[in-house]
Amino acid sequence: MGCLVLGCQARNMVDLLTPLKKLWERMRRPKPETAPFPEIFEQFQTLLQDHQQVMELIADIGEKSGGEYIFDRKYLSDFTNTLHTLLLRMVNSLNLLATKRYMELYTTLDHIFQPLEAELRGRLVLSEEMPFVVGLSELPLDHPELTGGKSNALGRAIQSLNLPVPAGFVITIRAYRKFLEANQLEERIYTWLESWAAGEQDLGQTSRQIQYSILSGVVPRGVAAEIRRQTAKDEICWAVRSSAYGEDGELTFAGLHETRLNVPSGKILSAYREVLASLYSPGALSYRQKMGLLGEEAAMAVLCQKTIGSQTAGVIHTLDLSHPAANRLVIYASFGWGRTVVEGRASVDRFVVEKDPPHRILEREIAAKQFMVRPKPGGGEEEVPVPEAERQQPSLTDEAIETLVKWALSLERYFKRPQEIEWAQDNTGALWLLQSKYMNISRATVPPQEDIANITARYPVIIRDQGIVAHAGVGSGPVYQVDSDAKLSRFPEGAVLVIKYTAPWLTPVVPKAAAIITERGSAAGHLATIAREFRVPTLVGVEGASDLFRDGEKITVDTKQRVVYAGRVKELLQYELVQTPAFEETHEFRQLRRLLKRIAPLHLIDPQAPDFTPQDCESVHDVIRFIHEKAVNELMDLPRFLKRVKGVKIFTLSSDVPLGLKILDLGGGIDPHIHGSLVLPEHIQSLPLKALWEGVAAPGVWSTEPIPVDFKGMMSSLTKTWAEAPGSTAYAGFNLAVISGIYLNLHLRLGYHLNLVDARMHPEPQHNHIYFRFVGGVTDITRRSRRAQLLAHILSKFHFKVDVKGDLVVARVLHLPPEEMAARLKVLGHLIGFTRQLDIQLKSDEDIPQFLESFYQQHSPAREKSSL
Amino acid sequence: MSPQKLKILVLDDEPIVCKRLQPALEKLGYEVDTFTQSLEALHQIQETTYDIIITDLKMKGIDGMRFLQEAKKHHPVTEVIVITGFATLETAKESFQKGVFDFIAKPFKLSEIQEVVTKAATKIRGAGA
Repeated sequence: MGCLVLGCQARNMVDLLTPLKKLWERMRRPKPETAPFPEIFEQFQTLLQDHQQVMELIADIGEKSGGEYIFDRKYLSDFTNTLHTLLLRMVNSLNLLATKRYMELYTTLDHIFQPLEAELRGRLVLSEEMPFVVGLSELPLDHPELTGGKSNALGRAIQSLNLPVPAGFVITIRAYRKFLEANQLEERIYTWLESWAAGEQDLGQTSRQIQYSILSGVVPRGVAAEIRRQTAKDEICWAVRSSAYGEDGELTFAGLHETRLNVPSGKILSAYREVLASLYSPGALSYRQKMGLLGEEAAMAVLCQKTIGSQTAGVIHTLDLSHPAANRLVIYASFGWGRTVVEGRASVDRFVVEKDPPHRILEREIAAKQFMVRPKPGGGEEEVPVPEAERQQPSLTDEAIETLVKWALSLERYFKRPQEIEWAQDNTGALWLLQSKYMNISRATVPPQEDIANITARYPVIIRDQGIVAHAGVGSGPVYQVDSDAKLSRFPEGAVLVIKYTAPWLTPVVPKAAAIITERGSAAGHLATIAREFRVPTLVGVEGASDLFRDGEKITVDTKQRVVYAGRVKELLQYELVQTPAFEETHEFRQLRRLLKRIAPLHLIDPQAPDFTPQDCESVHDVIRFIHEKAVNELMDLPRFLKRVKGVKIFTLSSDVPLGLKILDLGGGIDPHIHGSLVLPEHIQSLPLKALWEGVAAPGVWSTEPIPVDFKGMMSSLTKTWAEAPGSTAYAGFNLAVISGIYLNLHLRLGYHLNLVDARMHPEPQHNHIYFRFVGGVTDITRRSRRAQLLAHILSKFHFKVDVKGDLVVARVLHLPPEEMAARLKVLGHLIGFTRQLDIQLKSDEDIPQFLESFYQQHSPAREKSSL
Repeated sequence: MSPQKLKILVLDDEPIVCKRLQPALEKLGYEVDTFTQSLEALHQIQETTYDIIITDLKMKGIDGMRFLQEAKKHHPVTEVIVITGFATLETAKESFQKGVFDFIAKPFKLSEIQEVVTKAATKIRGAGA
């Protein structure tokens, strides 16, 4: 009873206390400081400038990966330091603007920069997040230190060149390390190697001890489980091959490490140990000693691929070692497995093929093939005689030779060095790529017959010293101009792509191109990035290129010297092939590409998505995107902003187009002679806003027929607030532009659409960008997606790079000269008007082309410039 | 093509700079030797006369400033092009006082150095004519 009364009293007390407590809490909570406007304003401007500078640095390091620049390790570390400093400053600025609401960003920065800096200090970083086992088709290509050289090359052949490679997986170097750790082998191996080096033990003893300890080791449970997950799917046999770190680079370790063929799934763990142990075979040890590598850590990844029961197999050399100067490749082939060819134990077929189109077969030697190696049922291999009648038959058809030649040339073009390629043809006749590695050829093997400068001087030069290098290299082929989708789909392998604009829709042909020449675009643009990904020599910004080159004309593009020759300069192509190493394979470039992977990709696209948080920022680009968005939001939340900040002046735009636009001028955006807060369109001096407004206010844009509502009703729907709509937050009620003389950030809510435009128009193209985001609409998601698709169509025709996610459209364009930026902003202005009516009218997918057409007819100032 | 090839020596302690410069200059018709150790390069200039020397500044052992002085002492008409990642106004000034032909900040474009080398070659040929 007493308890009950007490309980009641206590509850009453709590009820009474609640408001008091709240008041107390409110008093205790530090009041957000109201900073004076000039200070906030300055922070915001600094933040914008830093944002711009980081964007430029990102573009800059992207360009450096193209090979036109010579840089060293110092550059990489200086670059990273500068970037880190800028990012810290941006986080500080945002926290000042947003009263310390984004303190987690400091942790995010640590997550991004710590591995970067560790890597630059030269540590081989295999993070704990890296897998023990990874599928061949999803190999992380920029981490040969994880999967070894052989697997890396195959991963590239699959992902970049689309060649058929038998399915499989890689047991990574992280798994190897785990294996050593679990079996306490690291120390012991080191001790044995030491006593060998000291002369206390001989090579044989050392090798036996280490190999035995590996063979008797236990594969750690975590690793074994992942291997089983890969092999459990079907009862098949595997080829288990070494893929050591450093193998297939400048050092080949040719034949020193083990391969186990036709291994049943159940025996894969013991095959794994055998291949690991071969890292310490007497041959491998003495090779490493000879190369001065004993002090360095040896590490082995192991590649497991489904066995191909081949009827024919063999090897291609893309350079004929017996005639290095002749421009031809050699295919060796025999029946059964490729071992017969690789080990050179028997006579095999030999086909010599011209490397230049049309790739004539110059020599055909058909050997008497006595025996073949084939898989033994139940695992292993066996040697059987070739039936008498088949011995003299050629092992390859001309058709198969044609395919192999195509592969060989694209592998050589990609890896930039002569390749030794292993291939197989299965019982259905399908061809498979098994391996591709460098032929070790030095300048001494193929001495130039004559000075290269003298030779190239004999070829007619079509252009010299023109354009900007997006990727350095030499490529040759017939000119192919792409000015329509139809021509795009017929792009021939090995042609030189010549285009006016570097639009994103050209991406699919990049891997097929021998070289690329464009009239417009920058080395930091999207196409340039793709060209570097596929290592295609690319020259952008060559005025009048499409008139200079005739379709089908053979040319040789040397972007290292910025020269385009008429004809095929085969001596130059040869010269390039024997330079060691290709810059793409140097340590510095690999490091740069790894830095780039942590810096440049943008993952945070949709600011409304639940993963738009500091924790989800994976790259530097994500972080600055997040900061920029949040900083602009601080200003967009004007009522609160005005409460917090004193002395801020907001203009209101008075115009025929009733947008209710408020303008915050950061400087130079509005005619300084204006008194009061009302401005007219002609008072706008901000270049990007002026250009956009030209589009918005153009005749017809706002009154495009037919809109089935009366004018008043339409206008009210246009300026309707959005407070009740989902996802709407603070900045409802009016539209706001934050501007300066060359900058525009515009949030525009029209009816139910939200448009965001962020643009900069500087006299120098490399400072320029337009970022456009469009989202919202009250109709069902199908219609909204249809509209998004239509916008994507239109925008990509104007050379924007477009991402569509449901009904969200994000479009970007970079680095065009101011007049071209202006033309595109005007198009955006048109589009903004155009989109209002789309929900209602765009009823089916079939309507899209008609709308596209009508948009072009009405609003296409850039039409004569865009060839599409 | 000129009757006689000009000889270029490249000295930079980062091997990538040498590896990349060699073919880029050979293709312009020069004979190119590269070094990553300044001491070795110093021995080399005692034996061979170079028309153009391209050198980094900050290196272990003998630094670029001393190397170029030695080179100039040995063969005053050698044109020296300095490439450096520590580009300050002071170092630029100092190297020009030491008679350097040009000064390029790293990282630089291939075309940039090719242009400077071409200018140096024109000067040398002009003087020789």
